[in-house]
Amino acid sequence: MPNEQELWLTALMNKFPADPAHPIPNYMAYELLVFLIIVVGALILRSRLSVENPGVFQQAMESVLEFTQGMADEMIGHDGRRYVSMIGTFGLFVALSNLLGLIPTFATPTAAIQVTLGCAMVAFVYYNYHGLRHHGMVGYLKHLCGPMLAIAVLMFPIEVFSNLFRMLSLSVRLWANMLVGDILEGIFTGLIPIFVPALFMALHIFVSVLQAYVFMILPAVYISMAVAEEH
Amino acid sequence: MRIKIMLFVTGIAGLLATSPAFAQGAGGAAGGGATNWVAITSGFAMAIASAVCGLAQGKAASAACEGVARNPGARPGIQLFLILAFIFIESLALYTLAIVFLKVK
Repeated sequence: MPNEQELWLTALMNKFPADPAHPIPNYMAYELLVFLIIVVGALILRSRLSVENPGVFQQAMESVLEFTQGMADEMIGHDGRRYVSMIGTFGLFVALSNLLGLIPTFATPTAAIQVTLGCAMVAFVYYNYHGLRHHGMVGYLKHLCGPMLAIAVLMFPIEVFSNLFRMLSLSVRLWANMLVGDILEGIFTGLIPIFVPALFMALHIFVSVLQAYVFMILPAVYISMAVAEEH
Repeated sequence: MRIKIMLFVTGIAGLLATSPAFAQGAGGAAGGGATNWVAITSGFAMAIASAVCGLAQGKAASAACEGVARNPGARPGIQLFLILAFIFIESLALYTLAIVFLKVK
């Protein structure tokens, strides 16, 4: 497992520890690196925005934005643009975290359950907040009770449980996928050190992008369920 | 006839499963080592989970292919549902993997 030894960035951060008894783990250091990459990238992009001659970076990011907007329109429909920022942030963070592990001496932050559980909890709080904002307290509880009042006693616990279970399913899905990618790569590097690991790295890139897509589409589905109007 | 064959196979499998246990028991009494049943059962658990998830994903993919072949215009919607179905089927196998990963030392 790559998370066991301390990598160079973590070692650098642990030079200035707040508490030497509890050093910063690898996933935390590389999560912060992803955060810095996104913030610096956004600042650079913002300083260079232009309508007349958009640069390569701006055009690439515009296509990402269009993709996210298309997804929001498709999944949430009316008023979907409101959630584009959050869905896009999930996508960017998860995609960059997944792909970071492919660079030598870098760890995959999403191969740690703590990171993915954090993302899933943010998604959970976010869609429940928007459900509450859209329906109001009573309306959201009624929304959880299902369409018929007669089976509300049955529906309410099921709905609450399935909502809580979404946190587990979101986090475990991403974590297990990334962990398996890392382990497979490690095992096949041990078996045949040349050429074969490249195939598994290619597979890992594919899975990384797919899981980022999944982590965009599932919060979008959950938001659309939380803010859905009953007709 | 088929039931007889099934019974026979089950009996053989039972015999095969018990004899290493006895051998291990004798060896364990002599050598003091115990079989790591958690590792063995997790291997079977992962195999069963992967096999059935493979069947389920194959069924989903074949249905989606049929749908697209009959009505190519419906491709975007079918693709979305296919990916969602794959995600949910796959995560069931991944839960098994997570449990295996946490339990096997």
